[in-house]
Amino acid sequence: MRQALQRFEAVCDAPLAYARALKAESGRRIIGVLPMQFPLELAHAAGALPVILQEDREPITVGQSQVFTFYCGYNRSLTDQLMRGEFDCLDAVLFGDHCVQLLATADVIRAHLPNTPILFNQLISSLAAPWAMEETRNTFRQLWSELEELIGRPIAAADAARSIRLYNRDRQLMRAAFDLRREGRLNLTGRQMQLIVKSGMIMDVEAHIALLEEIVGAAAPTPAPETGVRVYLSGHYCQAPKPEILDVIEECGGHIVDDDLYHGFRFISTDMDETLEPVEALARWYLERNLRAPCATLSDERADWDDFLLDAVGKARAQGLIILQVKYCEPHMYYYPEIKEAFDQRAIPHLLIETEHEQMPLEALKTRVETFLEIARRRAA
Amino acid sequence: MTNLIAEAPFKDNPAAPAYGTGERADRLKATRHGGKLVNDYWADLFAAKQEGRKVVWYNGTHIPPFFQAHGLAWVHGEAWSAYLAAKHGEAPAQKAGEARGYDRELCSYARTHLGQAILSIKAAQEGVAGGADDARSLTMAKLPMPDMIVNAYPYCSSGQQWDDMVYRMFGKKIPIFNVSVPLLWGGRKDAGYLSGSEWEERSDYVSKQLRALAAFLEENTGRKFDWDRLSEAMSYIKRAAELRLECFDLCEARPAPATFFDWIASIAHLNFMPGTQAIVDYFQMLRDEIAGRVARGEGAVKNEKYRLFFDGMMNWNRVGWLADKFASVGASVVAGRYTHMAFWQEPGLIDVNDPVRGMAQNYLICPNNHGAPIMIEQINRLCDKFAVDGLVMHVSRPCRGMTNQQFLIADAAKRRGRQSLFFEGDVADDSFYKDELLNTRLEAMIESMDAQRRAA
Repeated sequence: MRQALQRFEAVCDAPLAYARALKAESGRRIIGVLPMQFPLELAHAAGALPVILQEDREPITVGQSQVFTFYCGYNRSLTDQLMRGEFDCLDAVLFGDHCVQLLATADVIRAHLPNTPILFNQLISSLAAPWAMEETRNTFRQLWSELEELIGRPIAAADAARSIRLYNRDRQLMRAAFDLRREGRLNLTGRQMQLIVKSGMIMDVEAHIALLEEIVGAAAPTPAPETGVRVYLSGHYCQAPKPEILDVIEECGGHIVDDDLYHGFRFISTDMDETLEPVEALARWYLERNLRAPCATLSDERADWDDFLLDAVGKARAQGLIILQVKYCEPHMYYYPEIKEAFDQRAIPHLLIETEHEQMPLEALKTRVETFLEIARRRAA
Repeated sequence: MTNLIAEAPFKDNPAAPAYGTGERADRLKATRHGGKLVNDYWADLFAAKQEGRKVVWYNGTHIPPFFQAHGLAWVHGEAWSAYLAAKHGEAPAQKAGEARGYDRELCSYARTHLGQAILSIKAAQEGVAGGADDARSLTMAKLPMPDMIVNAYPYCSSGQQWDDMVYRMFGKKIPIFNVSVPLLWGGRKDAGYLSGSEWEERSDYVSKQLRALAAFLEENTGRKFDWDRLSEAMSYIKRAAELRLECFDLCEARPAPATFFDWIASIAHLNFMPGTQAIVDYFQMLRDEIAGRVARGEGAVKNEKYRLFFDGMMNWNRVGWLADKFASVGASVVAGRYTHMAFWQEPGLIDVNDPVRGMAQNYLICPNNHGAPIMIEQINRLCDKFAVDGLVMHVSRPCRGMTNQQFLIADAAKRRGRQSLFFEGDVADDSFYKDELLNTRLEAMIESMDAQRRAA
């Protein structure tokens, strides 16, 4: 298990170096994908390596010339990576999320990489609309044809179906790791869980599956004794929380039992129906996953993030909720007051931590987390 | 206490920086009549419930002709927030929003409108005017509660999330309808302004949703939608929009007879007011006054030396202030993205006998709903048309929708030999605006433009 995690760590530390090496070795195209709703399956079926573009750890310098400081760290980091030439290796960029800040970043990428196709196919964000299914099917059909144009050959339905099966298998294994950790049979830290999911956004899916099988296979037959305050993590769209934050929570006595982070359960919540024709499977997957992990970027009368969290925290037997909110993330800022009120009404301890690309004073954070865990511990007693 | 205005270098124009002439803008007289029309609109809205009319709260593009055709009253959330800001009455709503936890980095239109909803709900529950301890709340207390919510927000994802929150705040009990107005990314080979397969597909898609909107209104009122009334409303709007374009054309004259700030004062009439003869008459008045100024060689800015383009949303707390500031340095802001690339700017697309598709197309071309290449092409076209020397980029802080492409716009301007300056502010939160920063940057820009002329 340790070797698999080390491999994941190496990939996560330098995602584009991994992609460049794989391209050099296999000749596969690298397709950058912007989060959070766009599937990787079709790009994989086109023979490419789909890579969800990640925030990196570099301070934002040259990128400042093309993005304002009041944009989220993810968008600022992407712009900075672009301006440093990191994205020169990309053969195309795919995206479809309706996030106003991502739209800006995509335009900046287009302006600075004029020869790199940016395949934008906007997914409907009003999921309960009567035309949502048809519109989503049309979006994926359009993407399919644009990818065929990119690679200069048709994409066979059988290849798309195979990609769907592979990504389903990968998601199932990641969910198994989540379940085993929650049961106490797989001793994984928050940092390690993040590596598992984040590497799944970057790596060749078959290689990822092989390593994940090792990890899941290392589960203990019986749960280990519980220690610490059981904590549920929520939020942090698009970019991974800094691992140091997860470390602080655990060092202060928190035991992260579950989450709905994008670099966590949100990414792996839903499989595609393998019995359906691929476009139909993709469309249903998109419309259904919001019911499994509601997302504030989407308008959906059928789903309530606050209710989902109350339920999820209860099922995980968590003693408290830590909300990780990316500074300047508008959908999360809109929704946070509802979550706060819902948890206040039920007297469930909760803590909001606003994160930034830079300027995360961990000592100050430590004091807040310690206090929060103390409150959660006392309230549970 | 120090009286800053009395000590300002130009006492008649406190907005003027320490340099320049200190002259104030000569605003069009007809805009006073326009202001009266706007006040009449709000007065009519405040009486809607007493008159038995249902009220729609909506956000986004200019869809009120559908409400007008169906005999409804309507509140444009953004316009309401701008109205409060222009009257310096936005603070109670923003305080209520902040108290619930809405972060200051969220759109200030949204924070104001959500704060209004919080206070309205509280007032309904407790039987007292929301924020009654604050005299500025008196106007807010007049706003009627919604019977329906409609969202039709091009480009900005925040817009849909904001209405979603309003819907949730009212306990999901008020019917909501979302019109998706997708971005015109312009990535296909045949993409162009008002042309290409994406344009045609998106026009069909939004048209289909607008017809469904009419069905939604029927369902929630029990009355049949009157398509003839929609055509009638659109015939007035189309004529008013055509007159506005004629006004714009007249402003190519030197000196420019009207400025961006006159067009800001005339947004409401095409954005959310009813399509009637009154708006046609208003734009005819504007046109006549402008034509008179052109004939007499009168400019809106005395001794016009520079012609500027304004990019970004308006700072509604500072409309007159900014008009006077630019006038005081001989700068005529002759056009803007928010005014000239919005609000039925392509009336020729509208067939009044069957207006839906042309309406959908005008909604699609809102000032930020194009990908950068086509948007910048349109901005360049306007800058050439009005012989612009430089661009003023208003960085409306929590409005990503209008700040998104500003660096690319400035880059493109530079390549065409045009100066640009950036200044921070906001649509409805005055705390983001720093006057002296604008003064300094404006002075630097003017020096650059002078140097450029000397070198030419």
